[in-house]
Amino acid sequence: MDELLNDVVPQEDLERFEKKYHHELELDGEVTSETKFEYAFCLVRSRYTNDIRKGIMILEELARTHPDGRRDYIYYLAFGNARIKNYTEGLKYCKAFLEIESNDQVRSLEEYIKKQSDKEIAKGMAVAGGAALVLGGILGLGIAMARNKQKRDK
Amino acid sequence: MADRAIKLLVIGESGVGKSSLIRRFVENKFDENHDVTIGMDFKSKVMNVDGIDYKVALWDTAGAERFRSLTPSFYRKALGAILVYDITNRDSLVKLEAWLAELDSYSDNPNIAIIVVGNKIDQERVVDREEGRKFARKHRALFIETSAKCDQFVSDVFKDVVEKIVSSEYFGNGYGSDGMDIGGNDVHEKPASTCNC
Repeated sequence: MDELLNDVVPQEDLERFEKKYHHELELDGEVTSETKFEYAFCLVRSRYTNDIRKGIMILEELARTHPDGRRDYIYYLAFGNARIKNYTEGLKYCKAFLEIESNDQVRSLEEYIKKQSDKEIAKGMAVAGGAALVLGGILGLGIAMARNKQKRDK
Repeated sequence: MADRAIKLLVIGESGVGKSSLIRRFVENKFDENHDVTIGMDFKSKVMNVDGIDYKVALWDTAGAERFRSLTPSFYRKALGAILVYDITNRDSLVKLEAWLAELDSYSDNPNIAIIVVGNKIDQERVVDREEGRKFARKHRALFIETSAKCDQFVSDVFKDVVEKIVSSEYFGNGYGSDGMDIGGNDVHEKPASTCNC
């Protein structure tokens, strides 16, 4: 799964579909859902977070307005969100997909996101635990110092 | 030694069993339902050929039309291509011409190893074995018939194509010296068998 998520879109592909997208927008004032999807499909595989976010926005719009391709949009919404470590959103889309259709590919992605998200939580707890230790240390030091002071005052 | 990576591409019409072949090979599972692949999927497996481990990266592509314009970048750096058709559906063999044309125009490897796979031999045949073989021979490709459902000759697909790749003079820094087989006559002659699962 790492290979799939780390596979970056070739720059020329991204540029080609970006050009097509803007060309349609300028010429017709609107973009076909096919072109939108092609562009978004490249964006969510970009190495840049901003591109991925933009791809997610386009896919969200497509998922609302173009029910025919919904399964593709929902999968790539999960995919894009997983790539920017937006695990909660990613899982939401996997779940939404699997409620409609059983699919091995989506199940693999869901498992992967769950694993990554658990890792992040564990990391978070380690940081919080570390912070508690430091805080405890400071408190302990404070109490010790206060006691010391009391002793000296006597 | 598993860092010797080999990228294989699996292409063909929707529903012929591309993902099923990969799934059977990698996980030894089969699902009767057709889970339509979205865009592309990836699975990998370490294969040992002549005592050397190779990490075989399997790129599974969606057969669906809408991804056709989007998948070319996945053809790059592929050392082998697995072209799958369904022996119960003649059109899926005819359409392999178009898939080969795609491969020709998008692959950056002129020596890409190709194997033509007729899948679903557990079902009633419409396409003769000879037709598939002729097609493969015409395109200087290897040929085999399989059943992902009954696990017949599935691992041979991957073994044959990987062996062809690693024995090619173009692979790495000249492993083996037999050169490329351009005659295309090492076509598989395994007996067609019937399977009752």
